Amino acid sequence: MRRLDLTEKDTSKRITIYFEGKPYEAYEGEKFPVAMLANGVYWLTTSTEGRKRGAFTFGPLPVKVDGVKNVNGRKLKIRDSMRIERQRYDEFQEQVKIDEGKPVLRYVVDVAVIGAGPAGLGVVEEIGGKLTAALIEERTWLGGDMWLKGVEQEGFGNPRKAIEKLTNFSENVRVFLKTAALGVFDKGEYFLVPAVRNDQLIEFMAKRVVLTTGAVDSIMLFENNDYPGVFRRADALEVMNVWNVAPGERVAVTGAFPEEITAELDRWGIEYVVVPNPKRVEGKDRVERLIDENGNVYEVDAVIMADGRIPDINPVTQAGGKLRFKRGYYTPILDEEHRIRDGIYAAGSAAGIKPHYANYIEGKLVGAYILREFGFEAEPCVYSERLREYEPLSRPRPRFPLDSFNAEDVHICGCDVSLKKVDDVVKSGITDLQIIKRLTHLAMGFCQGRFCLFNGALLVSQRSGLPMDRLDIPVARPPIKNVKMKVVAGRE
Amino acid sequence: MPTRVLPEKSEVTIIGGGIVGVTIAHELAKRGEEVTVIEKRFIGSGSTFRCGTGIRQQFNDEANVQTMKRSVELWKKYSEEYGFSFEQSGYLFLLYDDDEVETFKRNIAIQNRFGVPTRLITPEEAKEIVPLLDISEVVAASWNPTDGKASPFQSTAAFALHAEEFGAKLVEYTEVKDFIVENGEIKGLKTNRGKIKTGTVINATNAWAKLINAMAGIRAIPIEPYKHQAVITQPIKRGSVKPMVISFKYGHAYLTQTAHGGVIGGVGYELGPTYDLNPTYEFMREVSYYFTKIIPALRELLILRTWAGYYAKTPDSNPAIGKIEELSDYYIAAGFSGHGFMMAPAVAEMVADLITKGKTDLPAWWYDPYRFERGELRGQALQMG
Repeated sequence: MRRLDLTEKDTSKRITIYFEGKPYEAYEGEKFPVAMLANGVYWLTTSTEGRKRGAFTFGPLPVKVDGVKNVNGRKLKIRDSMRIERQRYDEFQEQVKIDEGKPVLRYVVDVAVIGAGPAGLGVVEEIGGKLTAALIEERTWLGGDMWLKGVEQEGFGNPRKAIEKLTNFSENVRVFLKTAALGVFDKGEYFLVPAVRNDQLIEFMAKRVVLTTGAVDSIMLFENNDYPGVFRRADALEVMNVWNVAPGERVAVTGAFPEEITAELDRWGIEYVVVPNPKRVEGKDRVERLIDENGNVYEVDAVIMADGRIPDINPVTQAGGKLRFKRGYYTPILDEEHRIRDGIYAAGSAAGIKPHYANYIEGKLVGAYILREFGFEAEPCVYSERLREYEPLSRPRPRFPLDSFNAEDVHICGCDVSLKKVDDVVKSGITDLQIIKRLTHLAMGFCQGRFCLFNGALLVSQRSGLPMDRLDIPVARPPIKNVKMKVVAGRE
Repeated sequence: MPTRVLPEKSEVTIIGGGIVGVTIAHELAKRGEEVTVIEKRFIGSGSTFRCGTGIRQQFNDEANVQTMKRSVELWKKYSEEYGFSFEQSGYLFLLYDDDEVETFKRNIAIQNRFGVPTRLITPEEAKEIVPLLDISEVVAASWNPTDGKASPFQSTAAFALHAEEFGAKLVEYTEVKDFIVENGEIKGLKTNRGKIKTGTVINATNAWAKLINAMAGIRAIPIEPYKHQAVITQPIKRGSVKPMVISFKYGHAYLTQTAHGGVIGGVGYELGPTYDLNPTYEFMREVSYYFTKIIPALRELLILRTWAGYYAKTPDSNPAIGKIEELSDYYIAAGFSGHGFMMAPAVAEMVADLITKGKTDLPAWWYDPYRFERGELRGQALQMG
């Protein structure tokens, strides 16, 4: 077994890959970052400013594969003898192959559901058999965040079994995995949802759209929080429960919701320590120790941020939704039938953080509203009753220890934007996020603010005393997921 | 720092806090005038912060060449004095047939006459300037190394800051609702934050100019808002696309690289008249098709974002700049048709001259707001990035 393997792997699938010229044991079907993690290699790419980066915190993961630069390492499926090298973010392939590209696929459906977590599965379960639906999921699996869980989930029991049950789709539901929606655009009585799968453009025309686009892990601010070996909660769950690889030999869990991770670490028997107030991570080219605000030093090789999730507001604002600040985060303003505006619904953690089962019920509720709109009999009130039992989660408001941080080493955004850079602008009296983003590039890089804008808002609010609901939150612009120019460049 | 407090009075009041309003305020304040800018949202929010960043002298008529030559001098002077980035990285027009070459030879002759050092170069020379170009269909290029680009954020912020140092007041999140006029004389403005007493008003609202003109009872200046969109890619090595590259053949495309590293630009795709600014899917398709024809390496780069801004267009794509006679004292500097950012420093000088001296050495006559009424349209200004 490799250093961080949690289970024996199938030796018939054993292959060798080369990273920076050195051979590593790997297994067919594995993703590149997982194979490297299993071998104990965390540093995989380098930011434009020269900071070492891994795959599990934030920022992109461009790597050079068999001589071709700027390949997305995060989605890279390895093959035998593949040669992979580090590169800097700003390196790109100057000589490119010019092909015809793939033809555009087109589908016309009643309902496009973006996101196949428990909420999205609830929607299609409710409308399936009656309306045609496209279920669009960016990841390689169905079940969203719940698929990453190993421990029992309230209302569902075993998460894997529950998802398997929910994915017996009726015939008029089409599932599109590994398909990233680029936005929602008005087209008369239809909405156009363009999406990309394996560099192929797909255009969905739908009479109704449901945003079950989920939430993102909140990024915690501490010194060297961008360092290889720092994990977002979801990535730590994925490496353990999907790939059976440990995040580290001895890990530190930080954040307001450590139990989301510690239960899973217990399950695998991984040694951990809970550190509520991290100040700084140190190490040569990966995490070697974590120092907390009291000066305690923890010798660990991984740090997991378990600071809760916040709704991904980008799909909402791009589609024309408005936001409010409630329970410690921004959520879409919904009308009495869960719409952000006419024809576009939101459900699940995109609409508010709550247990998976509540998200599923909310999906069923939206499905029922849509059925009624199409003239079918439906009883949304049954679901709204049940949903009332689940009050969405409140998130404590973090206060950044701005005076004790070395803010140059704290990364508020994965695209080389330090806390200092943003804080200097805020301290100069500029408290308008619209201007801050333009002066600092916060929220203008690869994630388009998905992970970093919220911390920017918290910082402005903390420094200025302005309440969060008074801040002018910039609207996301299409594409809501990065797309290669060649994918949309084709012409028929 | 801009405020939300409206002063009780101001000799001159500028409506619109884009680059044009801010540079006029800067120039007037520098000359000792009491001046206030009233901006509906925040400084730069209208079209300035959405612009394509290019600054060029390669126009096709004497007046615009002269104006832009002065503007580039001022861009250089103020970027050095105030420390914002203005890069003279050139404009490179790619030409694909003899007709285009002939037209550009005529333009180059005009530009050279005013000391703008544009010259016709070979496709190979163009590729030396931008090695990523596909020159297989290019027959020549028009190249002026003294054209350039600047960061709209940094430059507008710098002009705003120094305008304030000279005593100008910048008032944000304040919307002008009406003019207070007595016997054809402006006495003040009504806003959502109360009244301001003022004798001279400058309409620098570009896309919204007709609405402000209507408040003042002026109707004869045709300026309409059109939606133009822009794209930016992931940042790549700085210096990969130094100049602004233009191709009429491929969608009237303009593209360059920002100081941050992203490839930025747009195409001729225009929607309107409209006040809608939602980016469209069709634009993303169009711009990607054309850009990847010009620079094939862009195929493998990620699109980070698209957005929209206004071209406030007049029938001849030249702005309306000057004094409005029906009302005393009312000036307009609007309808820039996509050229407001690049022209702003020269326009500021022009308008300040007109207000403080009643005349200017710059060719303000070309931009006469009454030319439309008289049916004396100018030749179409070369409209492009």
